[in-house]
Order: sequence, then C-alpha cells, then structure tokens
Amino acid sequence: MKINAKKLSLTVFLPSLVLGLAACGGNNESGGEAKADENYPTKPISVIQGFDPGGGSDQLAQLTQPYLNEILDTTFTNEYVPGAAGAIAWTRLAQKTENDGYTLSITNSPMLMTNYIINEEFTYNLDDFDPIANVVTDPGIIVVASDSELETYEDFVKYLEENPGGLNVANSGVGGDDFFTQLKWMRETGLDMELIPYSGDGPSWQAVAGGEVEASFNNLGVVYSQVQAGNLKALAVFSEERMELLPDVPTVKELGHDVISGSARGYSAPKGLSEEVKQKLYDAFEQLKEDPEFVEGLEKVALPMDVKIGDEYAQFLKEDEELSREIWEDVKDEYEE
Amino acid sequence: MEDLLVGLGNVLSFSNLFFIAVGMTLGIFIGSMPGLSATMAIAILLPLTYGMDPATGISMLAALYMGAMYGGSILAILINTPGTPAAAASGLDGYKMTEKGQAGKALGISLVSSVVGGLIGAIVLLTIAPLLGEVALKIGAVELFAIAVLGITIISSLSAGSVVKGLLSGTLGLLISLIGMDLITGTPRFTFGNIYLFDGISFVVALIGLFSVPQALRLIETDKEAVEVSKIKDKILPSWKEFVSLRMTLLRSSVIGVFTGLIPGTGGDTASWFSYNEAKRFSKEKEKFGTGHAEGLAAPESANNAVVGGALVPTITLGIPGSSTTAVLLGGLMIHGIMPGPTLMTEHAGVAYTLLWAVFFSCFFLFALGLLYTKVAVGVTKVPSKVLAPIIILLCVIGTFAVHNSMVDVMIMLGFGILGYLMDKLNIPVSPMVVGLILGAMLDTSLHTSLKISGGDWMVFLSSPVAVILLIVALITVLQSTPFFGKLKSLVAK
Repeated sequence: MKINAKKLSLTVFLPSLVLGLAACGGNNESGGEAKADENYPTKPISVIQGFDPGGGSDQLAQLTQPYLNEILDTTFTNEYVPGAAGAIAWTRLAQKTENDGYTLSITNSPMLMTNYIINEEFTYNLDDFDPIANVVTDPGIIVVASDSELETYEDFVKYLEENPGGLNVANSGVGGDDFFTQLKWMRETGLDMELIPYSGDGPSWQAVAGGEVEASFNNLGVVYSQVQAGNLKALAVFSEERMELLPDVPTVKELGHDVISGSARGYSAPKGLSEEVKQKLYDAFEQLKEDPEFVEGLEKVALPMDVKIGDEYAQFLKEDEELSREIWEDVKDEYEE
Repeated sequence: MEDLLVGLGNVLSFSNLFFIAVGMTLGIFIGSMPGLSATMAIAILLPLTYGMDPATGISMLAALYMGAMYGGSILAILINTPGTPAAAASGLDGYKMTEKGQAGKALGISLVSSVVGGLIGAIVLLTIAPLLGEVALKIGAVELFAIAVLGITIISSLSAGSVVKGLLSGTLGLLISLIGMDLITGTPRFTFGNIYLFDGISFVVALIGLFSVPQALRLIETDKEAVEVSKIKDKILPSWKEFVSLRMTLLRSSVIGVFTGLIPGTGGDTASWFSYNEAKRFSKEKEKFGTGHAEGLAAPESANNAVVGGALVPTITLGIPGSSTTAVLLGGLMIHGIMPGPTLMTEHAGVAYTLLWAVFFSCFFLFALGLLYTKVAVGVTKVPSKVLAPIIILLCVIGTFAVHNSMVDVMIMLGFGILGYLMDKLNIPVSPMVVGLILGAMLDTSLHTSLKISGGDWMVFLSSPVAVILLIVALITVLQSTPFFGKLKSLVAK
C-alpha cells in the first residue's frame, strides 16, 4: 500500500481508496533495466517503514522527506509494513527489493541489530544493507518521579551500591534500546537492578510517574515535555555531551561511567547500490543537515539531530552490533529458559 | 476559560466544520467496513492532514474516530458482520432485533445511544479533563490485572445455554491470545519460527474471520433473503418513552466508557463488553439479553462512543494515549510539530481547545449523518444472499489485508473463518472467545509485570484498594453464576 499525501486529494472518496489498496497489493516494485544512474532519481522513491503510521519512524519520515523531495526533485512515498519490531520490513528490504535506489527503509538502531541478535528466526543482518545516513539520535536518559528521594545520579548509584538489585527500573521492552542501555550501564558500573519491561517508552515513563517503579531508562525526546512540566526528574543523560534541551542534566560520561547510548533513526538501502546513486543520496543528506528550516523542525519536537553519512553510519552500526552482541551473550541465559 | 472560548470560535469556522463533517462521513463509512477500525482509519488518513492546519487536521481525525466507533455497529446489526471489535458486542442483541424485523428500530437505538455516549464523553472532556487525567497514571499493572480478571468473568454471562461450551470458547480465546513474543522475557511463544506470528494474532483479524465468514456461509446455506425485514417505514428514532426507559443504561454505560477510555491500553473493545455485562447485571429482564433486547444494544453503543472523550482526556492533559486510536492521534500531533505533553493545553491552547470542541460538535454531525447513512445502509438487507455473501467475503479479505498490509493475516482470517463456522455448527458461542482474545494479552502481561515488581509476592494484588474492589466484584460475578449463589439467596430470604 502506498500513501502519498500529495497525490491523495480530499476529493478521493473511500471506495476508490479501498480499491486502490487491493490493486497495490500485488504491485511489483522492481525497477527497469535502464542503467540511468546518472539521472537518478527518475521516479518516486519508496520508503518501507517497519512501524505504524504516526510512530517514531513515520515522524522522522514526515520531518525529513519534504526536504528530500525538493533536494532530489522526486517524491518519497511511504509504505507501512509493521510487525515483529520492524523485522518484517527489514527482512523484505534485505531479501526482496531491488538495489536500484528506489526502495529505502528507515532503520532504527539498535533495534535493527538486536532483533536478529536475540532471535535466530530473523534471517537478515547488517551485511544485507547499504546504510545511507543516520538522521536523529534520541539519547538515553534516566528519569525518576518528581517526588522521588533520589535527587541526583549519585543518589541513584549510591542506593544501588548499598542495596544491590534494590530498585525496579522500567524499560521499553526486552531487546529495545533502553533495555540495552540498562545492560550496558550495569556492565560498566557493575551494579545490579531489577529490569521491568513495558510495551514502549510511554508505558515505561508512566510507570515511574504513577509510582509503580522507581526509575525508567527512557529517551530524551519522549520524556522532555514531562521533565519540563515537572512530572518527572531527569538524573542523567547517555549522550556524548550535555544536551541543549536540558543543559542542567549531566551526562553519565562526565560522572565517570563511559556509556553512550540511545535510539537512532536513519535511512538504509539494500546492499549493492551503484556508486553514483549512493553519492547522490549522501549529498542529499549533506544538504539536508544544513537546512535551517529542517533543523528547526527537529528542535520543535525535541529530536536531537545526529547526521552520520555513508561509511560513518555503517561504522556506527557495526560497532553497536558488536557491543550489543557481546552484552547479549553475557545475559542471554537469564532470558532463554 | 478564555482558551475555551477561543477554541469555540475556532471550531465554528467554516473550514473546521466542513472537515469535521468530512471526518465524520469517512469515519462512519470506514467503521462500517469489516476490519477497517477507527485506529486504522486514522492511520490511513493521517498523511492527508500533513498539509492542513494542525487544528483542522486533528479535529477531522477526532470526528473520524467518533464516526468509526458508531459505524462499526451498522453492519453488525443488519447482517451480523461487526466492523470493529467494539461492535461485536452490539451485534449480540442488535442482529437479533433485525431478525425480529426491527432493523430500523435497532439502528435508531444504536444511533441515539452513540450520540448520547459521545456527548457525555465530550462534556467530561470539556469540563473536568485536567482532574481526571491523573487517573490514567494511577492505573498500574496491578490494577490492570484486576480489570482483566473482572473482564474475563464476562465470559460466564455470555455462556447462556451451555456453561461448558462457553468456558471452552473463552479458554480457547485466552490460549490464542498468548501466541507471539512474551513482552517480559522476549521469548517467542507458539510462533513455530514464523516471524509473522511474532506479534501474535491480531484480534481484529480473528474477529473478522469468526463473525463475518460464518455469516456469509450461513447466508449461502439458507439461500433466502437475508432476513425478512426492513420495514424501514417503522420509525428509526426511538420514541421519547423508549429513550427515557433506557436512561440509566445509557448513563451507566457512558460512565464505563469514559473510564475505560481513560485507562491506557483499554479502549472501545473492552468498554463495550464491560458495559454489556453491567447492563445485564443491573437489568430487571436479564433473560431477555441476547434475544434482541434494547438495553443490550444501547449499552455497548453508548459506551464505545463515550470512550472517545475518555481516551482523549489523558491524551490532551498528559500526552498519554488513552487508547490505541489516540496513540495514532498523538503521533499525528508530533508530525504537525506539536509536542504532546502536559504543556499542550498551555502552549498549544488553540489546537487543544479546538480539538475539545470538535469532539463535542462532531456528535451533532454524528446524529445527522448517521441518520442519513442508516437509511442507505438498510438497503443492504434487500440484497439477495447469493450476491451479499461473496461481497462480505471480499470485504473481509480487503479489510484484513489493510490491517497490516499482510497476506499472512488474510490466511489467518480465513482459518478463523473455518473455526467460526465449525463452532457455529457445534453451537459453541464465539463471543466468549472474543472476550478471551481481547483480554488475554492484558491479563498475561499485567500479571507478569505485577509479580516482577513485587519480587514474586502475590499479596501485591491486595495492596491496591482499586484492585481489591475490582477483584471482589469479579468474585461476586463468578459466584452469581454458580448454584451456590442461589442457595445463598434463598438463605438470606429466609
């Protein structure tokens, strides 16, 4: 199914939409034979999204693609293939799409890798993709309830030193970015806490605000408005440097624990794009990050821009994969009965 | 207060009212198609709003939500093919009324109940939203578990006829709901290595198969006019007297709807079954439920529209979606560059209050457009069975495919169709199975989370007053349907 905001005018009545859905079902997306890579792109670029419309992936797509449309003088169309934490879409990208540059996918890390690290059933891996560019990285953050006795990151650490495993700490689900942030942090500090998985970032912070658990490892962009409104207290953030959005919140790194972690989203293609096509896409993202309007759009919704292009993105994914695999090897016995 | 008036001014502009009407029309239509739920409708149309003014776009989607909640029950009532999970409860008594030749009356009751529910939800939203928002935060895993347990007891009241068959059906539903990745341990269960089963079986998909496919087969088997009905000349709208006789049911169900909406993770599907059960519990004519009783139709209909207002309360005040549909709405706000959260009502007061009023005014459009659509929809019953049956199957396939753009879902739907057909032949009711499917995952996850938080101590369920009360009500419900209760009653009577 393709939904194209520009093409669908409001006068389209539903029956035609429904018929359209049926017609698109058997649509073949493979490109033509023509090796017109110098002219790329000559037709719309399809973006497979592994999550529902309105989710984080879609948000990135809607913020990014209007600018990419202009830069590349084409139309990006979204196709939503939700399921198995994005794995259905990524399996399809890896195994069933042409590497002609007309099909891309939004790739979320570490989810892209942790999916197949944790589940042998998933048959794609990083080698099946040509990473194009990372666009945003929403850093991990530790939050507690506003009336919590834990005032600072030091309090949090001290409490766990005195009471090993004595805090219930929420994450957004086993295998998610916050879960891995917790594992990384526990490995770095040698401390132990009780990990409580929830179904998503929202339920995870809500459990803290409602007093059900003591803390949540979450993402800055998700909890920003709650921290601003005083519903939650931020203890520390897992970014390289302090974030402009919350300048008073220290980084975990400056407090002596070298953990950088977060949820990153970018674009990838199936393996084997031609050099010309790759370069055109790289240049497009290069241009994108200089666009002040685009930067402002991200700031408005508290999404920290983190553009990494081509090899830099590939390198970042590779390193993250290795670290995640190592960490999972350590703990997997607890999760596989 | 000032913001409230500004919002009112905004909503009364021509373009906003126009798009509310558009949203309502689309909502009613999409909702009435099998498989196309409010959540999906909003997801599909969300990209359309990207080019609009945020307030207008979001108002349109809210109206669509309201419309879809109502639309789902139209075909459930007329030909027993519920369009949404919430509408499956409406079909219980609604379709029976159609069979009795009261299709017009049934649609009228459904419409009026939906409007009343929607209005009550909207008024709550406009007046005491900030006070109620906190409730969403107070409902944790322990309370959710108690709610799920109470929900499961509904199975007993749906098992009219044979308790054993009802329990069998309900248990099967619970078992099927366990398919997929365990949220707490990450372990895939009953997936047989198939990644399409990792998210479990979507209950919308199961529901389409369970209800609509057997209905299509039944139509072919009997090969007569769908039902000898459509005395559409009889008045659609219920008389004032009938309306007054339903007032307690409407009020109670709307309150249930608002609260179910407030709780994150529960929406129209849960609310309609809860309110059906409570309507039956408090009714003087319990035995009439399931035979085409007006109360049994009014309850789920008002509840599922009251959910709209309820679910928007935490969405607007705290940025916590009260239902899966409002979760998509929140995503829509983000894409419009509006940060949902506690600051929404202050920093984006224009958008927030326009939305609140839009929900209120959409109820009036619901009434007018619903009445029009109803008159058209009744025509469905005049279509010969041999034409109608294949159309139903076709709609099922399209609707199911649209849920996740997946052919695997279509196969699963057809599998459930066969299961539903066999159950029908064996006189096993499917409603308990639907309840099991809706609540199974919630029961499983909330139990596991609660025990993980408490470190394995079961007493955690007695630590929350809300949970204790709900569990006691559940216990009473179970006892009520055992012979023990009859004896107790006669003892007290002495």
